[in-house]
Amino acid sequence: MAKLKQAKRKNNFAMWVMFSPYLFLLIAFGLIPVIMAILEVPHESRVNPDGGWDAFKIVLQDFRFLPAVGHVLGFMAIFVPTTIIFVIAMSLMLDLNPSKWKKWLRMSYIVPASISGAVAVLVWYAILQPTISPIREPLSWVGITTSDQIWQTKNLVYIFAIMAFFAIAGNWILIQFGSLQSISGEVIEAARVDGCSALQIALRIKLPLIKKYIVYMGVLIFAGGLQIFVEPELLNKGIYLGIAESWSLDQLAFELAFTTGDFGGASALSLMLLVPSLLGALVVIFKTDMFEEAEVNRNKKAEA
Amino acid sequence: MLKNIDLAGRKAKLRQENRFWTWVVNAWLIVFAIISIVPMVWLLLAPSKEDGELTNRHPLAFGNFGNYVKAWNNLQFFDDGVLFQWVINSLWYTAAIVIIATVTASMAGFVLSASTIRFKRAFLVSTLITMLVPPMALVVPIFVLMDAISLMDKPIAVILVSSLYPFGVFLSYIYYSTTIPKELYESARLDGCNDFRLFTKIALPLSWPLISLLAFFAFIGNWANYFLPYILLPSSENFTLPIGLGFLFYSTPAINPGVGATSVPIYKPEIALAGVLIALPIMIVFLVSQKRLVRGMLAGSIKE
Repeated sequence: MAKLKQAKRKNNFAMWVMFSPYLFLLIAFGLIPVIMAILEVPHESRVNPDGGWDAFKIVLQDFRFLPAVGHVLGFMAIFVPTTIIFVIAMSLMLDLNPSKWKKWLRMSYIVPASISGAVAVLVWYAILQPTISPIREPLSWVGITTSDQIWQTKNLVYIFAIMAFFAIAGNWILIQFGSLQSISGEVIEAARVDGCSALQIALRIKLPLIKKYIVYMGVLIFAGGLQIFVEPELLNKGIYLGIAESWSLDQLAFELAFTTGDFGGASALSLMLLVPSLLGALVVIFKTDMFEEAEVNRNKKAEA
Repeated sequence: MLKNIDLAGRKAKLRQENRFWTWVVNAWLIVFAIISIVPMVWLLLAPSKEDGELTNRHPLAFGNFGNYVKAWNNLQFFDDGVLFQWVINSLWYTAAIVIIATVTASMAGFVLSASTIRFKRAFLVSTLITMLVPPMALVVPIFVLMDAISLMDKPIAVILVSSLYPFGVFLSYIYYSTTIPKELYESARLDGCNDFRLFTKIALPLSWPLISLLAFFAFIGNWANYFLPYILLPSSENFTLPIGLGFLFYSTPAINPGVGATSVPIYKPEIALAGVLIALPIMIVFLVSQKRLVRGMLAGSIKE
């Protein structure tokens, strides 16, 4: 018995050794930064001379905070629903009459995903610059002939929404198309025999069956959108100077930390931004069966 | 009889309508495919033209191959050829991240699926949470941490932080849980196999599809990453290509009218070529791995 116990401990020792590199990374760069950020908040700084948890209040009262919230919410209000609806519609259309030649279409859809971050800023600068734009003719049809008609602070929510849309829509179309492929053909056939039209099948059969993937996609798109940084930052500092000063919340956190030196405020803002992402993650994990394998294993263990 | 004819007529009409809608859907799918590739085509063709030709010629016209070489040579004038250093940096940081992330994630996923270590469920849930929270949310806290442990401006900081790969752990956990029967481990253990050998001799040889999946996602997630290296690596000689591209925006008049004329011959074609260096590898990887993208993102829910 003792021998068996010893053997088991030894076994688990090997398992721990194999698990430890990841565990180290998880604790060091997943957990500790959050703790450090919490500890950083009450530090004294120029804007928070007495220190303490007022740092949260000071950030909320910063004159740049509300405009940044407005920008990010405006951007998300356009980007998130449009992307989700468009992706669902496109994947349903692809699923309607799958044929071999359409694999070329699917390949084309993922091309824009390789244009992200700094390259996306460059490419969209060119596309929305009527003198060099590959769509200069369509732009001129709607009366746009100079770049200052487009590149204004008030238009940025739309421009960033378009950029973010193209960076991810294609990937998600492929992924949701893949999730539709997992629906058994018999279910669809039965619905068809019962007289369902293609549209009814799409709305009443296919969509409910891939609901969890849609929630999963929604949470990832939402969480990613909330953290918009690269596009406004590069545009503001590298192309049209001052067009997107402290435009997004992440930019504001960056400004607070690296321009004002207010790390307490920056940490407070980062923590506040972490909350909605965390909530989204918990919804996906506990309110959908997206990670059913994890659950199945747990149940098996519970039964044992 | 009349009824029959009527029915046949309705069926024919329905078929015709169906054909019409199929045509409309297919046409739209093709139009969107064209819209999707135009930005990339523009980017790939831009360095083939002279700066003036970008405005004067058709935006999707091809200049000549010599201009690619010329743009590359011109880029070498910038800061004593630092661009070459950025290419090397991008290559080695990404390679290091892909290797460390893939190794640590595959081992951790194996342990979570094959062992009975304590806190397994807690590890699994924290992995899922970390995976669903965008890494950008922790950038400021990570800066605070790196500053505290004096790893600022050291490539190892970016490499280690980016090697935390909870999505990879989840993928490999699912992979090992679903493809390798528990009985195989049991019988290997009875034959005297210890847990290290269980991983290296049994699990690993069966997991090349998993390894390629892990490497794929690690690559696409890190090659074009901007925010983290932007904050952790302030010195030009440590930049990655995306940060370098942003730096070119800031410091040359190519697309930034705020910068006065310089003697460095960096114009739009040169900047576009730097963009191609970032976007092209990612596009190639996406195109050859589109199946991996779908399989990975839907892992855990779809059984093939």
